[in-house]
Amino acid sequence: MKNLTMNRRTFLKVTTVAGSGLLVGCTFSSPQLLSTPKASEEELGLWVRISTDDKITLILPASEMGQQSHTGQAMILAEELEADWNSIQVVTAPVHSEFTNSQADPRGIQVTGGSASISFFWDKLRQVGAGTREMLTEAAAQKWGVPVTECQADNGRIRHSVSGRSLSYGQLVSAAARLSPPSSPTLKTPDQFRLIGKSIPKLHTPAKVNGSAGYGIDVRRPGMLFAAVSQSPVFGGQLKSFQEAAAKAVRGVEAVVPIPNGVAVVADSTWHAKQGLEALTPQFEGGESAGLDSAKVTTRLRTALDEMGKAVISSAKVLDVEYEMPYLHHATMEPMNCTAHVTTDSCDVWAPTQGQEYSMKAAMEVTGLSEEQIRIHTTLLGGGFGRRSEWDFVTQAVTVSKALQKPVQVIWSREEDTQHGFYRPTSMSRFQVGLGKDGLPVQWESQIAQPNLAARFMPPLGWFDFDPMAVAASVHDYGLFPDHFYKVEGVETAHSPVDLGVPIGPWRAPPNSLNVFYTESVMDELAHLAEIDPLEYRLKFLGESPRHKATLERVAKQAGWGSPLPEGHGRGIAIHDWFPLDEAKTVVTQVAEVSVTKRGKLKVHRVDCVIDCGLVVNPDSVKAQMEGGIIMGMSAALFEQITLEDGRVTQSNFDDYRIARMRDTPEIHVSIVESDAAPTGVGEPGTSPIVPAITNAIFAVTGTRLRRLPIGRQKLI
Amino acid sequence: MTTLSVNGQQHTMDLDPATPLLWALRDHLKLHGTKYGCGIEQCGACTVHVNGRAVRSCGITVGEVAGKAITTIEGLSPDSSHPVQQAWIEVDVPQCGYCQTGMIMATAALLERNSKPSDRDIDRTITNICRCGTYNQVREAIYRAAQIKEGA
Repeated sequence: MKNLTMNRRTFLKVTTVAGSGLLVGCTFSSPQLLSTPKASEEELGLWVRISTDDKITLILPASEMGQQSHTGQAMILAEELEADWNSIQVVTAPVHSEFTNSQADPRGIQVTGGSASISFFWDKLRQVGAGTREMLTEAAAQKWGVPVTECQADNGRIRHSVSGRSLSYGQLVSAAARLSPPSSPTLKTPDQFRLIGKSIPKLHTPAKVNGSAGYGIDVRRPGMLFAAVSQSPVFGGQLKSFQEAAAKAVRGVEAVVPIPNGVAVVADSTWHAKQGLEALTPQFEGGESAGLDSAKVTTRLRTALDEMGKAVISSAKVLDVEYEMPYLHHATMEPMNCTAHVTTDSCDVWAPTQGQEYSMKAAMEVTGLSEEQIRIHTTLLGGGFGRRSEWDFVTQAVTVSKALQKPVQVIWSREEDTQHGFYRPTSMSRFQVGLGKDGLPVQWESQIAQPNLAARFMPPLGWFDFDPMAVAASVHDYGLFPDHFYKVEGVETAHSPVDLGVPIGPWRAPPNSLNVFYTESVMDELAHLAEIDPLEYRLKFLGESPRHKATLERVAKQAGWGSPLPEGHGRGIAIHDWFPLDEAKTVVTQVAEVSVTKRGKLKVHRVDCVIDCGLVVNPDSVKAQMEGGIIMGMSAALFEQITLEDGRVTQSNFDDYRIARMRDTPEIHVSIVESDAAPTGVGEPGTSPIVPAITNAIFAVTGTRLRRLPIGRQKLI
Repeated sequence: MTTLSVNGQQHTMDLDPATPLLWALRDHLKLHGTKYGCGIEQCGACTVHVNGRAVRSCGITVGEVAGKAITTIEGLSPDSSHPVQQAWIEVDVPQCGYCQTGMIMATAALLERNSKPSDRDIDRTITNICRCGTYNQVREAIYRAAQIKEGA
């Protein structure tokens, strides 16, 4: 998942379309692409469209799911373009190779993930913005017959400093479109930034505050029908029977359509579809997870660990511990849904999706149509967290619409959503660590057993039983991967993929969501075994990682590490980096302050967080991502788990899949390290360290070490 | 036929009285600002006002609210000028935003009955779920809305 350095030429291409204005495209692959007659109007304005009325449309390559990628990406483009911020509107990009993101997905897929929306597109957005600005400037200079050096772009206008004349971008687009685009436009220097580094209000806030923001479930098409679905509760099961006549007798029900793993009832309203589905009483049989329950999952993981065998450690002080983590659900507030309209020669898909390219492939597979006949429209997403990089809901909507040849919106109930996730994998690990006389490890044996997450995305990895996600973010001895930031001696790591037949997927910060809990818990255990302060202990391994060391020391200082606390209160500390296999990483450190009453009641009072993510585009967005990540991680630590019974998920809604609410939320203080390094990701890395920070804090108060999550009702005292 | 009074307008619709208010608003009146989240009155994404009180519209039927004054986010103000909306914009609260209209409606109802809510009041009353974790911004915006409402 190396972030390839952008050293190729930027090819810009401009064109005018029907007198409407300048369309600027940019390609990093082929200078031919945008000038081929086959290119459509949409493609010609791939990144920026400026119209004669001064309206600027930015076509942004990332889905907007709350991480504010639209605001951040628009800021970068507008910064270099010297655009009037108020003239900008944004559109999520259509499926096109220009928008693939090899940092979000090693195969170079168009997908929003990996916290890579700013870091991966940083260079590209700047170059497109700067190139467009240079063309507009040159057009003005030619019009006035003055040297281009006397002309400057400023807030949506080109100004001639000598005469005081100015022209708006809209007035210049026709002339600019006749110019040759620059091959290597001059970028601004950081001291010239007027947007980047400021907490510009988020672009979508006004629409989200008056209810007009359009999510997937808000899509309405003429003649659109609504579908409710039921899928086999046992994963991979098949539809056995259903009462079609009973469903069709329900008012408003128009059709019953089988879908790949279940059945849809289609009606004139969502409510009628739901009632129809109730009358349908579908029955299912079989399935890969048939007979599986949580006790068996634990047994399978333990067996895998036992098959790897234990090491012999000969040190005087030895830690020998096992940890276990549960399946987790994404529980996006907007349940899975998708709207599709399939005809004999076209297919339109409106989806709250992180995976445009996967959605395209799903639509092609179901319809048999070509890529040119299919359009994927990305709506706003009511949360993503990795769940929406899947495409199961797209396949369903396209299948139902194809059967009826009408626009159809498939919307899942919360129960379907909870029971048909792609869950954060369950996992079990064993650590055997021997300490030398100085309290530092001389032997570090780590073993982990869990479903193979990487094989889902890189199937060949499954052939070799190799899962980089089992290794990344842990202290390891895998020579192929970048070293872990902790420099530890005597490390031996092993992992065993365990296929359990339960769908798994990326859940905000894989693999850190598992391995950071393990590593940072073990570090804490070792510190106590060595009788060294947990902060001091960690610093001993950070001699070769100055950024990590500085970020850890800063959070300790901010949290008042070591200063007195009220009775029953304690602090825990944790550190990690993101993405652990990338060269440029974000470092996040956190300190949690908790209290445990004499009756064992836990409360998280305060969290301190320091992030070093390189140059910051929008500080408020970075803080929001840290706070949101901390709350999501805390929620997982305290409450969340997906369990299995009879091959199916036990939980079904927010009453039994508990999520943190206002009353559970601590005071949170986030600081950002000043840096002029290129930006790195922020969407995911807030989530993982809070989990061990909380359990380490519980240990500090009670002496109880939690090695199984969630904390739930486990006895703390 | 069912007649609903929504945002000051009367709507007569051919609906089964057992239809949840949420779906009548979304599918029949095209008021999409009210969101579906859980269907069991847990998450609060569908919060509207019925006779001035915050109600989770997934758990109440059109039969039960016929003749009562219903307000949705679209009717809270015509131009986002309601003090709670002003505060939300000022604090720039939303992340994904899906739960936020419900949060705003719950807050607006809270401030009508309690113009100076304490942290404890907020914890008890605003039980809406936000998966993005905007809770601290929501709390800040509630305090700010109370100030705006008082003319501060």
